[in-house]
This record gives sequence, structure tokens and C-alpha cells, in this order.
Amino acid sequence: MGIRLFKEPELEKPDLICGWPGIGNIGLIAVDTLKGVLVAEEFAEIEPWDFFYPEKVSIRDGLLQNLEFPANKFYYQKLERKDLIFFLGEKQPTERERMYATGEKAYQMANLVLDVAEKFGCQRVYTSGACVSPIHHTVKPRVVSVVSSEKLVEEVIRYKNTILISEIGGREGEGVITGLNGLLLAVAKKRGLESICLMGEIPDWLSGSPFPYPKASKSVLEVFADILGIRVDFGFLDKMAAQIEEIVERLYQGFPPEIKERYDERKFIAQAKPRGITEEDAKWIKEHIDEFFKKRGEQGGQGSV
Amino acid sequence: MDKALFEIYQSPQLRNPSLLVAWQTRDVGKLSSKVIHFLNEKLGGQKIAEIKPSGFFLLGGASFKDNLLQVPESKFSACQNQELLTFNSEEPKYEWHKFLSAVLDFAQHYCHIKELYTISGTVSLTAHTTPRRILAVYNQPEFQKALRGYGLEDMTWEGPPAISSYLLWLAKRRDIPGLSLWPEIPFYLAAGEDPAAIKLTLSFLDRRFSLGLDLGELDPDIGNQNEKIAQLRERDTEINEYINRLESGLSLNEEEQLRLARGMYEILEPDS
Repeated sequence: MGIRLFKEPELEKPDLICGWPGIGNIGLIAVDTLKGVLVAEEFAEIEPWDFFYPEKVSIRDGLLQNLEFPANKFYYQKLERKDLIFFLGEKQPTERERMYATGEKAYQMANLVLDVAEKFGCQRVYTSGACVSPIHHTVKPRVVSVVSSEKLVEEVIRYKNTILISEIGGREGEGVITGLNGLLLAVAKKRGLESICLMGEIPDWLSGSPFPYPKASKSVLEVFADILGIRVDFGFLDKMAAQIEEIVERLYQGFPPEIKERYDERKFIAQAKPRGITEEDAKWIKEHIDEFFKKRGEQGGQGSV
Repeated sequence: MDKALFEIYQSPQLRNPSLLVAWQTRDVGKLSSKVIHFLNEKLGGQKIAEIKPSGFFLLGGASFKDNLLQVPESKFSACQNQELLTFNSEEPKYEWHKFLSAVLDFAQHYCHIKELYTISGTVSLTAHTTPRRILAVYNQPEFQKALRGYGLEDMTWEGPPAISSYLLWLAKRRDIPGLSLWPEIPFYLAAGEDPAAIKLTLSFLDRRFSLGLDLGELDPDIGNQNEKIAQLRERDTEINEYINRLESGLSLNEEEQLRLARGMYEILEPDS
């Protein structure tokens, strides 16, 4: 179980920004886009085989060319305001067929990521993910934050379009950030590092959808741009968001009028006070959306060699 | 080598053997297990070690199949006179990398293998009357060159890897020359046994390692199977037509494939 370091960049107290797949891939897309915008350079990776099974084999003219595993790579960039390390994981290590990272493997991966970060003097860690919220899909998603200390509360509430998780209703001040986007922060806090999770809001009824939710990734990216004092071209995300919006809109047009009416109240009421649709409405939406996704997802399997 | 992973029963008297690996899981045409069983039986293979199941297999209870308890077994046997080491196992449920590394650790550091061969059947859309081919995947071009002349056909493929390909890749990283043998099994024989493919595979191994095997004893099984299929073709015009189409290089749709496979299974494996 190891780390392969291709290069040892000289970094001054870099912040670590991590992204793993999750609901709507909100965090992963935000972090990956930021890494691309800053043209961050790859410098290390976590050897994948202890965490993942290979996903693809390439055989040409009788010769085994390659075996591909999900990538877990580190990148770096030095900015005027801050040096940065990015970590992007293509998959979360799971045990016993769970969807998100749990157990020993996840803990090991979190520690390996932080080992690299601390080796370069990192003192602050950001992860990003999704916050499932009772919002209307046409509303701009806010960024919901969870932090490791009171001091950081003061800081994050100054971020653009950002609220604390406690401002979202219906949670009684408690909750769980599932998978590595949460676990990494917990391990980082244990190691005495500052930890901040920035989660883009996604409408509750879309949280099980198989497609990304770039509109929320954009909200998260705006916050990062603000923190880092950089300008970002959001063209790509806007285009992607427009495509998804079309699908979402088609689904929404299929709602029965009474549900649509109640759901539309979400456009006008404060997001912090979840209202608008009844439990029966939510059930109807969920059942019909699941059916829609199932139809889209029905594809034949394939053998292996 | 982490010795805690193994039960070692005896020290192998092998100098520089070849390792043959067979998987019982998803064993298309029962080729893999039959070939290894045949070799161990005819060559006097002795069980020398096994990988302990803990951490690799589900051990929350005991599974059973056809009234019999199933115990996951991952055993090494040595055919000392022929310099062959065989490994026969279920695919592990967990920790493939650790498990496969353990296979190579034992074979490399304890038995000093020079080459690796994996054996697994691959499903083919050809008819049983078409001569079987053995598709081959090598992990080193030099090894591929050295094995020209054995009538193996180079495979080209991209997709999800089987455990044999994972092992072949790990062997490549250790600089162990390796070959995955993928004999073709007509899809309608995949659920049962394919003695013709088993014989073809054994005849390759016989030539490669100069084993002096008498493979004639497999001929009655092949003849018997061909006879049963011929009778079915006479009785069932639909099945006959499907096989005719395959023999002419035409394809069958999913429903037709299923009907053919089911019909064949009923006459070839009536007790299953």
C-alpha cells in the first residue's frame, strides 16, 4: 500500500483540495475544473491495487498492454495568494459492495492522502460534495459548509453564497457527510489540520439521479475562486449545466399539476425552511424518477477476459 | 513472502517449474478444473500448500451446493517429475491483489517458477462442429515469439479484466513470462462440459511440456457428446436449424441462443 511520488515540488504551507465522486459529482467536478483552470501539475499518486479492482484490460495482437485502475492522483500549483495541492480520486474505496467509502480501506486512503499533504507542510484541507436540500431546480444552489473549528465558522460565513449547515432546516444540528469527502475531514481534524467541507446544494428529488449536477459545482467553484482570488471561465460548466437543465426540465414537466404547484412554492420561500411538497408528493416523484432512470440505465452486460 | 497466508504441507522437489493456474469460479465448459484435475491425476500431483481462506472468502457460514458443503480451497500441487506446479482455486471474493500476489509469492520465492500459464474457457458463438481454437494472451513479446508454432491464436480485446488477466499483469510486473490460454467453448456447451476443448488444451500442454499424456481416453466423451447432439438435431428441427446457421457463420438472436443452450443442457447434463 503506497504512494508514488514523481516529483517533490517546493510548496509553502499549501492547502489541500480534494474531490471524490458522490451525489451529482458536485465536488469532483468543481475540484477537477479548478485543477484544470489552474493547470495544476501531477506529482504523485496512491497505488490503486490495494483499494480497487482493475476496470479495463487492453490486449492487442495477443499481447497484454495494460490494466487500468481508478486513478488517485495528486497535483500542485503555486498561486500568488496560496500554494495548492489537489487530490482527485476517480472512485471511493468501498467494502462489501457499498456505494461510498466505509471501513478500514477508506480510513487508510484518507491517511495516505493526508500523509502526502503533511509532507509538504499542509495545514488546511478542503473537500467538496453535495448537500441534498429542499430547493427548486431553477434556484441557484448555495454552498453549505461544515468546518472543524469555531474560528473557521467566522471565516466561511464571509464566503460568497455560503451558509452553515445549521442554517438548513430539518436536521436538528446533526448529520453525516458520507464517504471520503467527510471521513478525510474527520481524520484531518484528528491530526490537527483545519478542515472545511463545501457542499453544493442539489434538489432532494434529484439526489439519486445518475447524471451530474454542474450548477451546484459552479456554486462551489465560485467560492474557491473567491478564496483564492482568481478569475475562472465558467463557460464549460454553464454549457454542461444547460444540458442537464433540459433533462431536469423534461422530468419536471411530467409532474402532475398539483405536485408541480406545491413544488413551485420552493421558488419563493426561504430555502432554509423546507416546505412546498407533501410526503406523498415526494413519494410520487421518487417512484417516477426512479422509473425514468431505470429505463435510461438498462443496458446489456459484458463478459471479461 | 508473508508465510502467515499459507498452510505449507511439504517442501516441493521442484527446480524451475512452470505454474499452471485454474479457476473453479465461472468455469466455462468446466475446462479449467477438468484440465488441472486430469494433469494432477495422471502426473501424480501432490498437494503441497494452500492459501488460507481468511480475508479472501466470505466465511460467515458454510455454503452448500447439491446437498454438499462447499469449502473454498486454494491449493498448490506439485507434479515433480514433470516440473509442473498447479494452482487450483475459487476466485477470491475480496482482496484480489493480495491474493494474486500471494499466489506469485509462493510460486516465485518458494518454488522458483520460470513461467506462468492460466487456463480459462471463453464463450464463443461458433458451432461445436467448428474446430476449437485456443486464443492466447502473453505478457511479454519474447515469450509470444518463443511459443509460435503451437497453433495458438493471438487475442485482441478491451474490456473488464478477468482474474487471469490480473494475474498475468502482476506476473509481467515481476518479469515472469506468462500466457493466458483461452480455449473457445461454443456458448451452448458453456454451462456443462466441453470435452473437445478440454482435450485441445491438454494436447497443447502435453506438447509444450512433453508430458507423454494419453489423451485417447477423452475420445469416448467427445464421441458420446457429439452423438447426443446429433440425436437432438434429428429430433428437434428448430435446434438443428440454429446449429446449421452457426455452421454457416450466421448469428442467432438472444432468444434463439437461449433456446439452443437450454435444449442442449437438458440432454447433456440431465442430472443437473
